[in-house]
Formats: sequence, structure tokens, C-alpha cells
Amino acid sequence: MKEHFLCGAQGLAIGYGKTPLLSDICLGVQPGQILTLIGPNGAGKSTLLRTLAGQLAPIGGTVLLEGRSLADYTGTQRAQKLALMAPHSRRMELTTCFDFVSAGRYPYTGRLGILSAEDRQQVHRALELVGAAQLADRDFNRISDGQRQRILLARALCQQPEVILLDEPTSFLDIKGKIELLTILGTLAHTQKLAVILSLHELELAEKIADTVVCVSPGGVSGVLTPEQAFQPENIRALYGLTEQQYTALFGTPEPEAETAPAGKPQFEHYVRSGQKLLRCGYTTGTCAALGAAGAARLLLTGREPETVALRTPKGIVVEVAPLWCRRSDTGAACAIRKDGGDDVDVTTGLPVVASVVLEPDVPGVRIFGGEGVGRVTKPGLDQPVGEAAINHVPRRMIAEALEREAENAAYTGGFAVTISIEGGAETAKRTFNPHIGVEGGLSVLGTSGIVEPMSQQAILDTIQLEMNQAVLRAKNAPGPRRLVLAPGNYGLDYLASALPQFERFPVVKTSNFIGDTLDMAATAGFEQVLLVGHVGKLCKLAAGVMNTHSHTADGRAEVFCAHAALCGASREVCAALMDAATTDACLDILDGAGLRGPVLESILAAIQMHLDRRAGGAFRVGAVLFSNQHGPLGETCIAKELMKEWQN
Amino acid sequence: MTRTRRLAAAYIALAAAVAVLFALNLFWGSVSLAPGAVLTALLGKGGDALAGNIILQLRLPRAVMAALLGAALSAAGYLLQTFFANPIAGPFVMGVSSGAKLAVALTMVVFLDRGMLTSSATMIAAAFAGAMAAMAFVLAVARRVQRMSILVICGVMIGYICSAVTDIVVAFAQDSNIVNLHNWSQGSFSGMTWANVQAAALVTLPVLAAAFLLSKPMAAYQMGEEYARSVGVNVRLFSAMLVLLSSLLAACVTAFAGPISFVGIAVPHLVKQLLGSAKPLHVLPGCCLGGAAFCLFCDLLARSLFAPTELSISSVTAVFGAPVVIWLLVRRSQEGAR
Repeated sequence: MKEHFLCGAQGLAIGYGKTPLLSDICLGVQPGQILTLIGPNGAGKSTLLRTLAGQLAPIGGTVLLEGRSLADYTGTQRAQKLALMAPHSRRMELTTCFDFVSAGRYPYTGRLGILSAEDRQQVHRALELVGAAQLADRDFNRISDGQRQRILLARALCQQPEVILLDEPTSFLDIKGKIELLTILGTLAHTQKLAVILSLHELELAEKIADTVVCVSPGGVSGVLTPEQAFQPENIRALYGLTEQQYTALFGTPEPEAETAPAGKPQFEHYVRSGQKLLRCGYTTGTCAALGAAGAARLLLTGREPETVALRTPKGIVVEVAPLWCRRSDTGAACAIRKDGGDDVDVTTGLPVVASVVLEPDVPGVRIFGGEGVGRVTKPGLDQPVGEAAINHVPRRMIAEALEREAENAAYTGGFAVTISIEGGAETAKRTFNPHIGVEGGLSVLGTSGIVEPMSQQAILDTIQLEMNQAVLRAKNAPGPRRLVLAPGNYGLDYLASALPQFERFPVVKTSNFIGDTLDMAATAGFEQVLLVGHVGKLCKLAAGVMNTHSHTADGRAEVFCAHAALCGASREVCAALMDAATTDACLDILDGAGLRGPVLESILAAIQMHLDRRAGGAFRVGAVLFSNQHGPLGETCIAKELMKEWQN
Repeated sequence: MTRTRRLAAAYIALAAAVAVLFALNLFWGSVSLAPGAVLTALLGKGGDALAGNIILQLRLPRAVMAALLGAALSAAGYLLQTFFANPIAGPFVMGVSSGAKLAVALTMVVFLDRGMLTSSATMIAAAFAGAMAAMAFVLAVARRVQRMSILVICGVMIGYICSAVTDIVVAFAQDSNIVNLHNWSQGSFSGMTWANVQAAALVTLPVLAAAFLLSKPMAAYQMGEEYARSVGVNVRLFSAMLVLLSSLLAACVTAFAGPISFVGIAVPHLVKQLLGSAKPLHVLPGCCLGGAAFCLFCDLLARSLFAPTELSISSVTAVFGAPVVIWLLVRRSQEGAR
């Protein structure tokens, strides 16, 4: 690889006198490439350039030009291949720009330096290349700084070099001058196949023009980096010794929160189209926890702070984000990921989810604990047993998988202990339903898909309408009555796939919480038979006539169970227990205990059927199928029974 | 090509000036001679023996010497200006002439005391040694201070020290030598012999040719030492050559005519303005012609203005040269302030 460089250095040590200023420098540049040196003043950029140009003998190592040591070239040979453009401060007496540029013909002219016709042509060509042909007869002392730099560049080009080195060519130029000069350089590099090495102070310009970058700091010289690597905020801050505030003041995008991710880091970009709008998806707290665990584990196992962490969510979408921070602690490492709800801004958006990982070489497997800000399960019937941290099984699996992958990559065979905490989670949780549903002391780490799709009401309605339109198209093509399956969410779809696979051939529309609205759409779309398949926790609300099942709108689940149990002759104690139950699954357990599950469900299903018929208004026949994750199939309404029988055929 | 035309016109004008002034120097003198007598003497057609002697043994060698040393002096000035990148550098202000003067005075006193006549070669060698000593001192200072003005002041101070020492030497010299030595130390073209001319020409002409051959690296060097190195000039060798050649020229002038002030600064500058170019390739020949014309002109004034009393040549060159230097300084500071 190294031999292919037109001009390069290996193991170079540079400096004045005997003590090297910088050593172990390896770099190189190809024809048509622009290599930019960046770094603070006094770090040795100019010294490096002068050494590469053969102006200064290396203290150690060699500079190679076309594979030969630069020291083996005579001055004239070298000058025909390599030109150095250094700042020029000397006053030139009675010198036109043409005269000045013609000095660059030095390696080609004869004993007395008299210009031949060919030399004059080259001078004119060089002036044209830098767009300064009109300056030829002007006095060199009386041109602007920008013009002067162009003339200096033309003089260097007159040497017909293959490599051109420029020492801060943009100093003292105004912004227009800088851009013009760098544009000329870029064009020259790419059209004339010149290899260009230049030092620049203007990072934003360097980032634009550079093909490769070498960072020169008093501590040492980096290898040849890509601009993406070199202009990482951390790298720039370390190179110039900037504080985060100083850096942000210069380069950051102004954001109100101090804890937002610095500019330039990847943001999760996944969009769902809804009507004419594009909505950005976010990721769940569970995804954050898994990403954080992966980041902390990588820091522990590789010793390097990960720039980004990524994982594939259960939904199949890859989420890649930069950690908010990632650092070692006394016993392990911790990594924070900022929760991003996308366009669906909820209470948890912006909170840092922190995963603290401790390596346990002797204990295989992954142990997951809840830290500060993560709630604890206080009532039975939830995803996790009472007393456990409110981290649902899907996020737990994601965390374990993420850690196992890190372990595999690092060939680590031991186990991990992970503590998930959410900064500010305890206060935020007070604004949620968590205490009511049996999670106390913090937020729950949730998410079945790992992805938060935007939930703005109109957006969802638009999406449902879209799915409805597609469903109509499918139904029209099928013979017989127009049939439609509705499911409120992922649970319903999963149940459908596992318990009722024969119905998957019918069009399915996800209703989200907008069951009433979806029924209206189905009526408008001309469907004749509609089957609603959903979790009892959602659909039992229909029994109370609640057609938008989002918990913001209304809950009433316990009330429904309580009322119907009372109708079926349940005791007061049972009714009280039902009212106090955290979830519908818990309610079912209570009913099982009282031997009332059958009649109560019967009663609820009848109520659901009544409300569904009312909403359908005779436009179609509609029925509901209920299930629970814990208890499996729970039954169906009378119309649903008929429909299912008809649909079997 | 207007530039080549301008250069040609300038060279022709300079050459014409040299020719006219050379002729005037032959025709004009304390002994008035008819133009016809001068011509017959030059053509060697017998005639008046006295007139022939005056022309061939006094005026002709003196005029040739004035032209030769004038050329050498301005070339030396130009080389030093290039070396120090300073338009007011010159053999006189840098103390090089004074160093040569001191060495020559010492040699003369030592030799004359022992009843020996000093040969031209001895004089040149002594002057060269003195010039190099002064130059070495200036270079040592130049390595420490970057400011040119301080360097020039140091040069002037060295000049004063050398002049003072020379005066002391002269004071202790034998009476019979004093007048001679005194005249010389003031600078004069009088009393030049053909032997002197021959020796001076042997040194000056090859050195001038060598300087001319250096005009290519000189042009690169004018753009800065670093730039010269980057285009392949061997800067170390080149600057050594510049110092050596300029010292030789200045030493040669001093050995025969004593220290002559300001020619080295004024002439190159005036020539550059006349040519409209600062390229060494153009300026060096111009300097030779211009220096010759300037010294012929000044010598003419020196010996004819208050004839039969002769003025020292430096008095005349200073009157014409110093204002140019002052003007250069003023312009430089104005540009610096801009």
C-alpha cells in the first residue's frame, strides 16, 4: 500500500537540531488527492511540510518521492517533481506578476535563466490555471492578498510539479479569497492529477476539500484518516484542546438541552409515510437499555469508547445511535443512550437511559437489574413477577442478545450483570399511569417492537385509512362478501398469526386504539363482514362503549370486569379485588378463583357485541375475538362465532 | 516587446554617457589642451611630448580606472543588496570598505617604513583580507539580529572604528608618507599607473563575469532564501559566492582608490529605475555601465571644480549618492507604515 504513494514518508522524525519535534510519522498522498494537515499552532505542520519538501533534512526515517528517497534527488530534479508554496512576505522591486511567476521555471531554464518560448507559454498556462491571466502585467506589490496567493500558486505550478505542498495558503485571506483559492486547488488536483498536501486552519473548509486528513498535534501525528474520522467532534476537541462548550460554540448546532447529542453524530432516521407526511420513528426505552448495555460492554471488552452502537430491533429495523456518554466506573462501565421518541413525543423522550455493565467472568449469562428511575412491579399480572424491575421480557431479551453479541465479538466467555437506570425516571413516572397499573418508583422499560412509530392522532388515522384502502383493493379481488380483520396492535397480530392462521388470507388492518374510527372507515369502504381480534385489555373497554382504547381517553377495564362480575352474582370481596386489579389478566385470575370467568366473559362479550353493532349501524356484520397472553383464547361474540364459521369455508 | 526596447534604449544611453564622460575626462584638466592635441596624442602621432604624456600616462589610465572601479563598486553594492535583501546595503555602509582601508593602511605603513614599495598584488591581498574580516564581523552580527537597520548601524560603526584606527596609524607614519597616505585614505583616482590598471582589470573583470553568471540563482534568491532552496539553489554555496565576490570587488576598489562612499547604493538603484527591471540579468550589466559613468562624472568634478586643488572623490560621490540613500530610506519607511 505504502509503495503506491506518489509522495510519502515512513517512520519520519522531524525537527530542528537533534531532538525530534515529532516522530513516527507515516503518511502519503496519491495523484489527484488532497491531503490536509490540521492541528494547533506550533504543533509542527510547517516543519512537517518543509521536511516533506526537502527543505529540512529528516532527523530519522525517509521522505519518499516516487519510491525514491528525496535525499537522492538533486535540487533541480526535485524541483521538477515537487513544489512548495510557502508564505511570501518580501517586497518585490519592479516585478510584474509575469516576472514573478516565471521564477518558477528555474528548474527548466539554462545557465543564465533566460526564458524560452516554451517557458513563456508555461507561465501563461500557469496564470490561466489559477485564473490570474489578467494580472500578468500588474506590479506584484500592488495586487490584493487573494491575488497574491494565486500568483504564488501559479509560480509553484510553473515548476510543472507532480506534488505540490502548501503551507497555510489561506492565511490572511478573506472568506471569499479562501474559498476561491481552495476551489482552484480542488480543480487542479482533480483535473491535473496533482497530489496536494496542504496545512489549513479553517476546519470547516478542510473538511470540504480534503480527501484525506492527517492530524498534527504536539503529542504526535495521526495516520492518514478519512475526513469522517478526522472531523469527529471528539477528535477535533482533543486535537485543539477545546472544551465541549468551546467546540459547541463553534461547530455545534444550537440545541436547548445540554445533554443532546453533539452535532454530526448519527441520529436514528427511519420514517413512516402517512398520507403526504413523513414521520420520524423513534426507539423505545427497551432499545435504549439494550444499546447502552452494548456500549458499556464494548468499552469494557475493547477498551475503546464506541462512537456508535447499533442493534437490530425485533421489528427488523436497525437502530444506530451515538451514546450520550460512555465511561468507566469503579467496577465496570456505564453508557447512556438518549431516548428518542421520534415524532411521537411522550414523557420519556429525551431522558438518558443508562446501562451500567459489570463483567462477571465466573457467572455465565446475563443478569438484569433495575436501577434508579426504573420502576418495580408491585402488583401481579404484569409482564414480570412482583418485586422485579419493570423491564419487560422483550427488552430483557434485547439486552441479553446485545451483550452476547459483544461478548462474541470480543471472544469473551463470561457473564454480565447489567443495571438499567433512567435519569429523572422517578419524577417522570408520576405523570404516567404506572403507579396505577402496579409499577412504582419509576418508569417501565417497555417495547415489543423496539421502535416507536409516531403516534400523532391524525398521522395514525391517516395510516389506518391507507391500510384500509389497500384492504379494499385486496377484498375486491376476492370472490364473495368483502371480509376484513381488525387488530388493535402487535399482540392482536401475533395472536392472529399463531391461533387463527387460516384468517391471514383476509386483509388485516391495524386499528391502533382507534377502533371506532376504524369501524367507520370500514363502513365507508363497503366491507360486509368485519372480525376484530384483540387483547382483552383493549377490547374489554368496548363493553363500556369506549371506542378509543388509548389510556389517555379512558380506562374503565376494572370497572367493566367489576360491573359484569356483580351482574353475575359475584361477592363484594370479589368485586373489590377486581376494582383493585392491575391488569385484565389479574382480573381473570380473580374470576377463576371465584369460578365466575365463564359467565362474566359471556356478559362482557354480549356488551361488546351490542356496542359494536351500535357503531356499525347496520353497515356490516361485526364480531370480536378476545384473548389474553396469559390465558390464551377467551371467547368471541355471537356474530364473531358466525363469521368464523362462515370464513372457514 | 516594449520591455526589450526599453532595456536596449537604457543600455545605449548608459553606454553613450560612459563614452561622453570618458572623452570629457581626457579633454578636461588643470592643463588645458586643445582637442586636436588630445586626438593626436591618443592616436600616437608624435606632436607635443608633454601633451602626449599628460593624456597617455595621466588622464587615460585615470579615466580607465575610474570606469573600471566604478563598475566594480556598484556591482559590489548590488551583490550585497541582494545578499542582505536590503536596498541600502553596500560596501561602504557595511564597513567592508573601511575594513579594507584599515588593512591597506597598515600594510602601507609597515612596508614604507622598511623602504619597500608596495606592489598592486600586495595591496589587493591586504584589502581583501581587511574586507573579509569586516564582512565576517557583519555576518556574525547578522546571525544575531534580524533587523536590517541595526545591521546597517553596526556596519557604519565598524566603519568608524576602522577609520579611527587608520587615522592613528597615519599619525604614527613617517612624515614623508603622510601626504600620500592621507590622500589615499580620503579616496582618490589620482596617480593611477598602467600597472595599477592592469592589476585592477585582472581582478575586476573575471569577478564581474562570475557575478553575471550567478544572475539566475540571484533572481531566485531575491524571492527569499527558502524559495531559492525549494527550486534547487544550493543556498550555502551561493551565499558564500556572493560574499566572496562582493568582498573581492570592494577590496580591489579600496586597494587602489581608497574608500569611495555611496556609489554602491546609489548606482544600482538608479539603474533599476532606468531599466524598469530588477532582474539581476538586466541590472548587473547596467550597474557596470552606470557605475563607470557615475565615477567618471564624479572624478571629473573632483578634479576640475576647484582646480588645481583636487577634491577627494568621496566628497563628490557623497553629494550625489547620499540624497539617493536618504530618499530610499524615506520611501522604505513609508511603505513599511502602509
